[in-house]
Parts: sequence; structure tokens; C-alpha cells
Amino acid sequence: MIRFKSIISRIISLHVIAIGITSICMPLALYWLLSSTATDLQHRALRDHAETIARYLEAGPDGAWSLRLPAGLEELYSESYGRYAYAVLDGAGKTLFSSLADHAPIFPDDRRAPGPSFLETRRGDAVIYGASIPKQVGGRTVWIQVAQDLSHRDVLIDDIVADFFPRVGWIILPILLLLLAIDIAIFRRALRPVLKASDTAQTISPARTEVRLPTADIPREILPLVSAVNQALERLEHGFRTQREFTADAAHELRTPLTVLRARIDTLADQRVREALRQDIAGMSRIVSQLLDIAELESFVVDPAEQADLQSVCAEVASFMAPLALAQDKSIALTGAKGPVWIKGNPETLFQAIRNLAENAIHHTPAGTTVEIEVTEPGVARVLDDGPGVPESERQVIFRRFWRRDRRRSGNAGLGLSIVSRIVEAHAGSIAVENRAGGGAVFSVSFVPAR
Amino acid sequence: MRLLVVEDNNDLAQLLLKGLGAEGFAADVVTTAGEARAALATTRYAAVMLDLGLPDGDGLAVLRELRERKDATPVLVLTARGGVHDRVAGLRSGADDYLAKPFAFEELVARVQALLRRPGDLLGQLLRVGNVAFDTEARQAFVDDKPQFFSAREVAVLEILMRRSGRVVSKKLVEDHLFGLSADVGSNAVEVYIHRLRKQLADAGGKVQIHTIRGVGYLIAEDRER
Repeated sequence: MIRFKSIISRIISLHVIAIGITSICMPLALYWLLSSTATDLQHRALRDHAETIARYLEAGPDGAWSLRLPAGLEELYSESYGRYAYAVLDGAGKTLFSSLADHAPIFPDDRRAPGPSFLETRRGDAVIYGASIPKQVGGRTVWIQVAQDLSHRDVLIDDIVADFFPRVGWIILPILLLLLAIDIAIFRRALRPVLKASDTAQTISPARTEVRLPTADIPREILPLVSAVNQALERLEHGFRTQREFTADAAHELRTPLTVLRARIDTLADQRVREALRQDIAGMSRIVSQLLDIAELESFVVDPAEQADLQSVCAEVASFMAPLALAQDKSIALTGAKGPVWIKGNPETLFQAIRNLAENAIHHTPAGTTVEIEVTEPGVARVLDDGPGVPESERQVIFRRFWRRDRRRSGNAGLGLSIVSRIVEAHAGSIAVENRAGGGAVFSVSFVPAR
Repeated sequence: MRLLVVEDNNDLAQLLLKGLGAEGFAADVVTTAGEARAALATTRYAAVMLDLGLPDGDGLAVLRELRERKDATPVLVLTARGGVHDRVAGLRSGADDYLAKPFAFEELVARVQALLRRPGDLLGQLLRVGNVAFDTEARQAFVDDKPQFFSAREVAVLEILMRRSGRVVSKKLVEDHLFGLSADVGSNAVEVYIHRLRKQLADAGGKVQIHTIRGVGYLIAEDRER
């Protein structure tokens, strides 16, 4: 079973089949009609002939038959003209009169049926078509046989029938093809609003859920589909809105108690306990932030028109992370491109991604070393550290949510790299991790350059 | 000097009230956007601490109304939403500063004090990092309260670093600050000043470090005990 992708192609192919069938059936039907009309005409003509002959047939008082045809008619039935012939048979089947030279009946067999009969026969080379018609003349029945030589040059009617296919039948095909072309044009016109709605539908993305399909010019038959799509979009938009609201509410509900807890801890007298609890709060706040980031990124889509300067994003990350690195006797540096490196993307989420990579690198690099963020054309950022590196076996799993090498340590839920991976994915970019020749890991993220 | 705290979580509001009281601030606490509007309409506050997630509306709406009335009362936004997007929205609505929950109480006090310092204050502001101090009025640096003497450009560099202590100051910003936007600057001019500052501060026994963040800029911080 062939499946059609478009309505037009479906209509065209069904139409072609219909045209094929019609272009065979229609000439056949016309031919049948034409030849039956021709036969009818012929029958009527033969009857008329028989009628005329009967008019000149007379039975004498002695029972002898006489036939006095006018000269014009004699000429018509003459053998020299050769088109028509007649014979008159009496009730006993004896030939009374005949236009033929041998005074023979036209049909060799006995054709004295009670009604008129028509038949074709051969006489020498000629195909003759004739009738045998009973007539009442002077109270007695005679059979008048009339025939016509179909191959005679003056016989036109069967020529018309015979010429039908070569001369007339072929015209049907071009007419049908023209009809097909007109139909395609009509369908295209009729489907134009639907195509327009499809174009609008293409612009729908999770970033643009407010788009609705136009219903103004849509044909009534397709309107339910368009309305259903619009309703689905409505629900989708509602879903996205609910998700965003949930994230905002969850952030409030989680972070406010943490702030309360933090403020209460600040009032504790024991400084050692206070410091330890602050550390716990910091770790927990980080996990809450990352979970909220993940929830927010769930519905995040890059606006195709948006552009970002990867170099300045990385410079911001380096500035943002520097105090944290310095607090651990580590440092951070920005290298590579000096000017802007434009890519397709959202600056805020790109910041989030590079920041998570930098955090991860600062976490793993030993004290006294520097984490390097390197930006290069066309849209590649690499984060290099001097830590233990990432073993080959872990290079896939590290991007999974909640993956940690050391499950005993708290304050790190293993969400950072999965956030990076999600953001890179949303930007249609790629992420890779390798080990440096001299030890340490290199995380490379590549994005789509702008233009 | 009265402060207004708009915070729907009662525990947090009471803790803030107590903490601010201990720091010498008198504060009123309201828990809804409606109460905040009423309080702001009737009382003149020195500063407002505004939580964004309020039960009867978005705190940003209160802030926007305040600014539409041309009321310049300093506003510190407290929010649970830490996203950069929210930060931008908050500052565009006219917030003077922004503090994401959970915050340290010292941080809150420091931000409030910064908001209360008006640009035209007669008293010069004294910036401190470790045992180094900088009087912004007299443009004078001290190490352990002993005045230090630098060239005008070194003073300018030290000031911009001290004003943003603990944060990275981009090399570009330092250059613009020193030479203006148009001047052609030698690529290592700033490095030379930084180098001299480092040396002189160390010689005077200053317990600060001027860190170079390669490719980005500089950061001054207290030199921690190793």
C-alpha cells in the first residue's frame, strides 16, 4: 500500500487512475452507442426498402404475382450499381422476384420467420447485410428480402463507426488531462489557507507557545483539526507556565527557610559549631540552586534569534569565580580570543554552563594551580584544570544527574555537569572531556557560531 | 532612621527585626504587598528590604509603583529566585541592590549600610581591606593607620580596587578610570602601577594581596594567614 505524504499527490494519483479508467470506458461506451445507432438506422432503411418494394407488388386475379418497379428503383437495385439487392419469396419459399442475375433469394437458407429478421451473410467477396420481412399483400404473406453490400463505396455509416477510434476516441485523453490540470489548480487554491496555517505551525516552539493557528480562511472540513491543535497549544502553554510558576514557588519555599536557619545559626555562641553549620547551609543552598536550575532548564529553549559573545561570558565567569578560587589558594585565568566570539545562544544560560564547568575545575584542581578558561573561534570554550583528570570509563557517566565519584562527600549532588550538558544540548552544541598530557582534565564545549 | 522590612515569612521577619535592632536600626515589618503599600504611603523610610515572593502579589510591582511616584527610597530586593534573569528584572524595576536567599546576616547589614550612605555625605568614606584603609574624601591610604604616599595614578588604581574589594575589577575598567575612554594606553601601564602598589604595600607591612586574574583584571583581598 502506497502512503502519500501530501493531499495533492494523493488526489493526483487517484485522479490519474480515474482518468485511466474513464479514458478506456468512455470511448467503449461511445463506440457501443454509435454502432447500435448505426445498426438501428440500417434496420430502418432496410424496412423502408421492403415497404417500397411491397407497394409495387401486386397479386393478379389468377393468383400470379407481378412487380413493376419504376425505372429509378430498378436502377437502384441493378447489379451494375451493386449496392442494394432484393428478393421476394412466397409463402412456400419459392423465389417470386429477385434483383440478382441468377434469380436466387438473397439468403440461401429459409428465412421465413413470422417477424422481421436481420442478418449478415457473404456473397462472393462481398459482406452483405440484409433483412427478411414478412408482408401481407392481397391477403397472402410474402417475405421481402432486402440487402445492402457493406463494402460498397457509398455506404458511410459503418465507416463512421470504424473511424471512431483513430479520429475521435483519442481526443478524450487530452480533455481528461486538461481536467486533471484544472483540478490540481483548484485543489491548490482551496488548500492555500491550510498551507498558511502549516507555515504558522512551523514557528511554534517551546519558546514561542503563544502562537496560534489562524482559523479565518480555513475550510470548514479542516477547521476541527486546526481548533484541536490550538487547544493543544493552549494546554501546552499552560503546562509551561505552571512549570515556571512551580519553579518560582519552590525556590521561595525552599530558600526562605534556609535563610531563617542561617539567621538562627548566626546567633549561636559556639563559633566552631556555627562555622560547621554555615558550611552545611552553603552546601544545601547549592544543591537547592542546582535543582531549581535543572527544573528551570527543563522548559528552556534557545530563541533562534538570540546571540551571545562567548568571550565576554567567559570573562564574566572568570570574574565571578575568582574570589572563590582565591579563597582556596587557587586561581583562574582567561586566555585565547581577545575580542568578541559571537555564537547563537542565550548569555545567561551560557554563563550558568561555563560557571558550572569552572566550579567543577576549581573543585578538582590542587591548591596553588590555576584553572584556565580558553575561548577560541569559532565558538569553542575549554576549561582546563590540573586535577586528577577523568578516567576513560567515566567520560560518559559524569554528565548524568546525581553522578558522583565519591558518594560519601556531602554538599555536592553531582548536578553541575548535567546542568552544563542540558544547556549545551539546548544550544545544539557539543561537549567533550579529555585528559591533558601533563595531567588534569579539559572540558570543551562547542557552540554554533553566529552567521 | 527607620527601615521597612517586607517579608512574608514571619520567622525570618522577626529574626531580621532582631538582628537589625542589634545593629542599631529601627525597623517596621509588614508581610504582604498591600501592607507594604500602606506603610510606604504613610511613612518615610530610610531604606526598604523587599521580598519578591509575597502572598498577595509580586514585590516587583510594589517597587515599580514606588518608582513611578518618583520616590527614590533605596530598595534592597531580597529574593529566593537567584536566576540572572530575575536579577536583571529586579534591577530594571528600580531596585538599588539585590540579595539572593539564603544570605548571611552580615552581608545584609553591609548592603543596608551601603544603601544608607548618600553620595553627598560630608564624612569621607573609609574603605578597609585587612590593615589597609583608604579615605575616599581625602584620597589618602593608610597601613595600620599610618598614612602612605603614592602617585596620583597609583592612588586612583588603589581606590578603584578598594571600592570593589573582594571582587574582580577588569583591566579595561582600570584603564578607563585612569586614562579616560579615548586615550591610547600602553598595554602594560596598569601592570606597572599594580606592581608598584604591591611592592609599597608589602614594604609598609600591609596584609593585603592584589591578585592578577590573568586575562580579566585585578582583585584586592585580605592576605590570609597561611
